[in-house]
Amino acid sequence: MTVLFLFVLVIGFLLIGVPIAVALGMASVLFLLLFSDVSLAAVAQTLLQAFVGHFTLLAIPFFILASSFMSTGGVAQRIIRFSIACVGHLRGGLAIAGVFACMMFAALSGSSPATVVAIGTIVIAAMRQAGYTKEFAAGVICNAGTLGILIPPSIVMVVYAAAVEVSVGRMFLAGVIPGIMAGLMLMIAIYVMARIKNMPAGEWRGWGEIFASFRDAAWGLLLIVIIMLGIYGIPGVTGAFFTPTEAAAVASVYAFFVASFIYRDMGPLAARDGRGRLSLLQAPHALVTAFFHTDTRKTLVDAGKLTITLMFVIANALILKQVLTEEQIPQMVATSMLDAGFGPVMFLIVVNVILLIGGQFMEPSGLLVIVAPLVFPIAIELGIDPIHLGIIMVVNMEIGMITPPVGLNLFVTSGVAGMPMMSVVRAALPFLGVLFIFLIMVTYIPWISTYLPNSLMGPEIITK
Amino acid sequence: MTPTGPGSFIDRIEETLIAVLLGSMTLITFANVVARKLFNSNILWGLELTVFLFGWLVLLGASYAVKKGAHLGVDAIINMLSRPVRRALALISVAICLAFSLLLLKGSWDYWANFANLPATEGRWFPTGFEDKFLEKGWYEVEDIPHPGFLRWMEDAFNEGESYNKMPRMIPYLVLPVSMALLFFRFAQAGLRVWRGEIDRIVASHEVEDEIGAARGEATK
Repeated sequence: MTVLFLFVLVIGFLLIGVPIAVALGMASVLFLLLFSDVSLAAVAQTLLQAFVGHFTLLAIPFFILASSFMSTGGVAQRIIRFSIACVGHLRGGLAIAGVFACMMFAALSGSSPATVVAIGTIVIAAMRQAGYTKEFAAGVICNAGTLGILIPPSIVMVVYAAAVEVSVGRMFLAGVIPGIMAGLMLMIAIYVMARIKNMPAGEWRGWGEIFASFRDAAWGLLLIVIIMLGIYGIPGVTGAFFTPTEAAAVASVYAFFVASFIYRDMGPLAARDGRGRLSLLQAPHALVTAFFHTDTRKTLVDAGKLTITLMFVIANALILKQVLTEEQIPQMVATSMLDAGFGPVMFLIVVNVILLIGGQFMEPSGLLVIVAPLVFPIAIELGIDPIHLGIIMVVNMEIGMITPPVGLNLFVTSGVAGMPMMSVVRAALPFLGVLFIFLIMVTYIPWISTYLPNSLMGPEIITK
Repeated sequence: MTPTGPGSFIDRIEETLIAVLLGSMTLITFANVVARKLFNSNILWGLELTVFLFGWLVLLGASYAVKKGAHLGVDAIINMLSRPVRRALALISVAICLAFSLLLLKGSWDYWANFANLPATEGRWFPTGFEDKFLEKGWYEVEDIPHPGFLRWMEDAFNEGESYNKMPRMIPYLVLPVSMALLFFRFAQAGLRVWRGEIDRIVASHEVEDEIGAARGEATK
């Protein structure tokens, strides 16, 4: 019964407008003070341990930073040019190119809203010019943007890995096939719609343009190679070069160098005050000043702010997690569910429903930190692969992001496209159907998620 | 006019601190990878320093986020309410946040104090006085980070003149009481602004509002 008190408090606090972090933290503190003998000093220690004790979570600020550097530069623009060169000539080509660009940008950044902002600002405007309706453009980008958390690297996956202690590397690999699949499904849906409604097609610019645009975008896309090869090594040749956390830090430094010295979209060499971009030879002092330039500082502050708000939620969710663990609540839920005769199929439906509802109200990472430890022991008991469970959760979060009232992607898209929330919701609806079918497939065909990690990293060893 | 107008001097300090903390975390981790891969050596204290900087970044930054109204929250319900009700709920929310930061301030002090040879407070919910007897833990060091030379005076002050090999724990842990005190202060300021009707909520609801603004700026360029 006391557990109910805990959840009522959390939800009550959330609804009256208490910040998520404080709602989680305060409910846990009240619970601990009332019903256990844990001291406030121990709570403070847990708060600090969220940072000092979780090396996995350390990857989050670095992935955010890398994606911030990549977003400041014209990387998005170059990726879009490349996508249009590849698929723009198909019917509905610009929309398909938008999805393709979202997929590639998702592989550079770990967050969905960031993907929508980076790709959406450019593509939605371009699609309207080419004669698509605003609604169609917004719906496409809103949905394709959710791939940001499914295609590795993904901040939500890092959070899941930290919460249930599975390998980040495995989670990332597991996201590859589902990510590509979801992207392809969206593209096919668009293509079919385009055929029926006779939407415009771009012109085929030839292989030369594909090659040229690829060469231009390559510096940005190389980041994916660095992260993936860094974490997994070259298959059959070398082992891993560094941990996912280190890979994220290397990616940040690389992204900084590309943005400041190669693309020169930010920092001392960028075009401004009526002059074009400088080359490094013209301003060799940039090698030093780039580190202190206002653009660099601004990017660091923006990434820092995002890290702070996200990690403060996670740190407080970890206090709640500690309460749940100490009260053995996951075990209680597990027994009662098993006693009720739930099989794996029924269980996964319940998980889907919980996450779909929760995802509409809460920020994905915070929700995962709380729900993952709750359902994880049950899943293990039922013989569900933890990596598979993780991917199911991530796909649920994706859908949560495009369903009202608190779909992050809806807000961003309505901002980027300059149209009211409710019309974005309607616009996103047809593609939401596609994602739903995808969710069902991912849930009941474990192979989609587990094939890559198991074949490349060996079968998962489950320690109870 | 509030003392925390945009672009104020304090803002600059806080933002610089955020940038420096995040930047050094990244550079240290990067340098460690380079050291290991290219020079086959290791910055032994690199990882520990990074995680402490991480903790400092988020805990200190939490109060900055309060000031900027950047904390994530749910505003679906409060958007549907009338102004006076919304204001009342915002005031209740602030009260909860203030209580939270006070409780954690006590907890943080209790946790940190003994590491600095200071007494923790007694009482379960509220400090009812300082404890009379306690174990001085000023000698307690971190794992890897060496003690910097300019802090040698701490040896006399906290360690009975014995030298510190590594940095004493009181230094990195200091962030706990400091950040919670700051958090309380910023929530109190936010409460004042709600009371005066300058703001009607203390949550941002979406982590992306700035990005939208920035994106619009980019798009109209």
